Amino acid sequence: MKKILLTLTLLCVFACAPAMAADKPKITIYTSMYEDIIEAMTQTLHEKFPAYDVEFFYGGTGTLQAKIAAERDTKKLGCDMLMVADPSYSLELKELGLLHPYISKEAENIALAYDPEGYWYPVRNLNMILAYNPEKFDKKDLPQSFKDFAADESVRGLISMPNPLTAGTALVALSALKDKYGYEYFDTLAANKPMIESGSVALTKLETGECKIIMILEESVLKKREEEDSELEVIYPTDGAICVPSPIMTITDEWSAHGNSKICEELTDWFLSPEGQSYIVKGWMHSVLKNPPAIPYDSINTADIIKDSMPVNWENCLRDRTDLRTNFEKAVKK
Amino acid sequence: MKSNRSHSYLLPPTSSLNIKAALIVAIAAFLLLFNVWPMSYLIFRSFVGEGGFTLETFKRIYTYPLNWNALRNTLITAGLSMVFGVMIAFPLAWLVGRTDMYGRKFFRTLFVMTYMVPPYVGAMAWLRLLNPRVGTMNVFLAKLFGLSENPFNIYTLGGLIWVLTTFYYPYAFITISRAMEKMDPSLEEASKISGASPLRTVMTVTFPIMLPSIVAAGLLVFVSAASCYGIPSIIGAPGQIDTITTRIIDYVYVGSAEGLNDATALAVSLMIIGNLVLYVSTFICGSRQYVTVSGKSTRPNIVELGKWRVPVTILVTLFALVVVVIPFATVAMTSFTKNLGKPLSSTNFTTRYWNILLTRKGILDTAKNSLIAASAAATFGIIISCVMAWLLTRTKAKGRQIPDFLITLGSGTPSVVIALALIMTMSGRFGINIYNTLTIMIVAYMVKYLLMGMRTVVSAMSQIHPSLEEAALISGAEWQRGFWDVTLPLIAPSVVAGWFLIFMPSFYELTMSTLLYSTDTKTIGYELFTYQTYHSQQTASAIATGILIMVVAVNWLLNKLTKGEFSI
Repeated sequence: MKKILLTLTLLCVFACAPAMAADKPKITIYTSMYEDIIEAMTQTLHEKFPAYDVEFFYGGTGTLQAKIAAERDTKKLGCDMLMVADPSYSLELKELGLLHPYISKEAENIALAYDPEGYWYPVRNLNMILAYNPEKFDKKDLPQSFKDFAADESVRGLISMPNPLTAGTALVALSALKDKYGYEYFDTLAANKPMIESGSVALTKLETGECKIIMILEESVLKKREEEDSELEVIYPTDGAICVPSPIMTITDEWSAHGNSKICEELTDWFLSPEGQSYIVKGWMHSVLKNPPAIPYDSINTADIIKDSMPVNWENCLRDRTDLRTNFEKAVKK
Repeated sequence: MKSNRSHSYLLPPTSSLNIKAALIVAIAAFLLLFNVWPMSYLIFRSFVGEGGFTLETFKRIYTYPLNWNALRNTLITAGLSMVFGVMIAFPLAWLVGRTDMYGRKFFRTLFVMTYMVPPYVGAMAWLRLLNPRVGTMNVFLAKLFGLSENPFNIYTLGGLIWVLTTFYYPYAFITISRAMEKMDPSLEEASKISGASPLRTVMTVTFPIMLPSIVAAGLLVFVSAASCYGIPSIIGAPGQIDTITTRIIDYVYVGSAEGLNDATALAVSLMIIGNLVLYVSTFICGSRQYVTVSGKSTRPNIVELGKWRVPVTILVTLFALVVVVIPFATVAMTSFTKNLGKPLSSTNFTTRYWNILLTRKGILDTAKNSLIAASAAATFGIIISCVMAWLLTRTKAKGRQIPDFLITLGSGTPSVVIALALIMTMSGRFGINIYNTLTIMIVAYMVKYLLMGMRTVVSAMSQIHPSLEEAALISGAEWQRGFWDVTLPLIAPSVVAGWFLIFMPSFYELTMSTLLYSTDTKTIGYELFTYQTYHSQQTASAIATGILIMVVAVNWLLNKLTKGEFSI
């Protein structure tokens, strides 16, 4: 009896051990970057900015949008900065007056479009591509374009793509594909029976041979190649990779969790600097600079990908967000 | 399960009247505030649009064919999981509790253990075992029987039902086992003396007496399966099979006020289903619930299986192998495999994912959060359970059934509905703001899982004959002292077991945590799910295996410390 009580007490004491209090100024960044990259980045920021306590909070873009929508009700967001995938979201947040403007000294070196008033900057370039497993299938037997990915019957039921409801990059991809091929693309795609699931599940299916070809972000494949000696390969689609220059944004002091916008400005500068960008590249994403410090492991030239990429109309992407999701859902989930 | 016998003569005459009333009011107030009121508000809100009362949202939600499909899928999967779950749980509970089958104790622990791991871990395993193209078990079976194609496809309604059944039948097993241990064996003996065969005794005596518990067990499986998010989102998503829960979460993820409204309207139907089932089951067994379970429990007689002893043991072993061992082994192996396309071998082996598990701050933080939230929920929950057990079995206090009913109502309400309702009422709009804190998680876990703890303690308490307490009273002890010195030590193992029955599902909870988590309160359940779907299946497998090891270790430790007295 006593032993049981003792055990229980110990369990409770252990469980309730108070968290260590930190008095450094805190910055919380909502991001859709992978946990592995977050971990590496947290370590680096800890070394570069020892005076601050920078913390990342992971969520898919859709998940974070839902979270922010709920938090707006309480008049205070849980974050100070955002590094989500979908650039069109920054247009929305700017309109809502949630963003803090800042002209970064690094702005002139950026190769891609950014907000002239400094409300947002692209900070990492993500590419939606196709991927396959050369150990299981021959590249020449597989679709080489997004168009064929949807239309080629030989891969019917053996394809996979991310969920546009939760993944910002998937929504951008759908927007670009809709602009290029019309909403009919969704029906064609639906007839080819894609599995709608996220990166980790899809990559495993590619490894085991359950899927022949998948639509996925380039960085997921590169990461697997470098870290797990995976043979999985990228196919840069002939109708263009879909480039998503994901933004970095600072929340106004009024709305942000900790009201440290000056520190956020410092962090913005660092992320956009060649040094900050080299960590982006180490995280298998492409740099946004005119002179990229490097290219990600096993990738091709950033400029080449951008040159051949499928155009994205960001205004359309924002305006059609609900339509894109609903039409996709109606077509695919029957 | 309640007892009809009350022993108010054991209690101090008037002084405790106020205590009893106060306790009942306190527990009822807690449940009214965090359960009844949020649910009522949720229903109210679903009828209110921008311009006042409207049926617009309902019309939009319930005319969308996809939602009807989801509703149908939910009813089919939860309904059949309930039927199959009970069909598996009843014979297992009987074999483990009432027969001389080999390894009864081992099997009991094994089946209860399944309750202790997150159900979506099962989904992760079955995804690898039974996917239509390269599923390991599929390929093996096709080879074994020389089939031209793989026999199973997990991405179907059938697949969903299979995984739901194999991971929710333990709920029924625990409920039925407990009732069976409590059953008055003299009825079975009477049947035996009158010349009935063991099977006939089971069918004509045991089964009818157990019916109320079986219905209660079925209800528990139904509601758990209907409100489950992890399994349908992992198994259902690739085959485009939606359930109400996945639809609700989809609506929430739309990220707008309208999305939340739509989610609410859809949640109402799930709540109605849950409560309807609860009502019907109470109605069916209400009149019989208290009659047959005697408080004076002797050791139940053991049925000798005779020539069936070996075949039955083999059958149960096979079942355990397929349903428990193989899935868990698959998950454990995944956590060490580098390339999942190749078999686990020395070149394809890595401990990387275990390193991540043990060193990554994000994972450790979430584990700490879950540990705190689940410990708090279990501790407060078990205190309420003990008080309720005392009120129900040792007093005649008026209104003691009210909190009992409310606790049952809470566990009958689908998790996702509880979470949504708490978000709407507890984020400052009505003066209470616990959104984004661990408190809201603790409250949600308590509302949902209190019943399992309470049932355990009530059942233990009603087995203790009050004559023991009377002896203490006669010897001059105060009633409090009698309770502390006599009753508590006797029910202690059940109290600890009850604590764990609340702790474990709270520890790995996913559905409610998905909606309630915030920057500082992410839970291990949500983290595991995120790793499974977004980052790395191997890391997710390492986390899942870690939880399993912890469960086994704690179970072993408690067993050692209590010299085998303790069993969940």
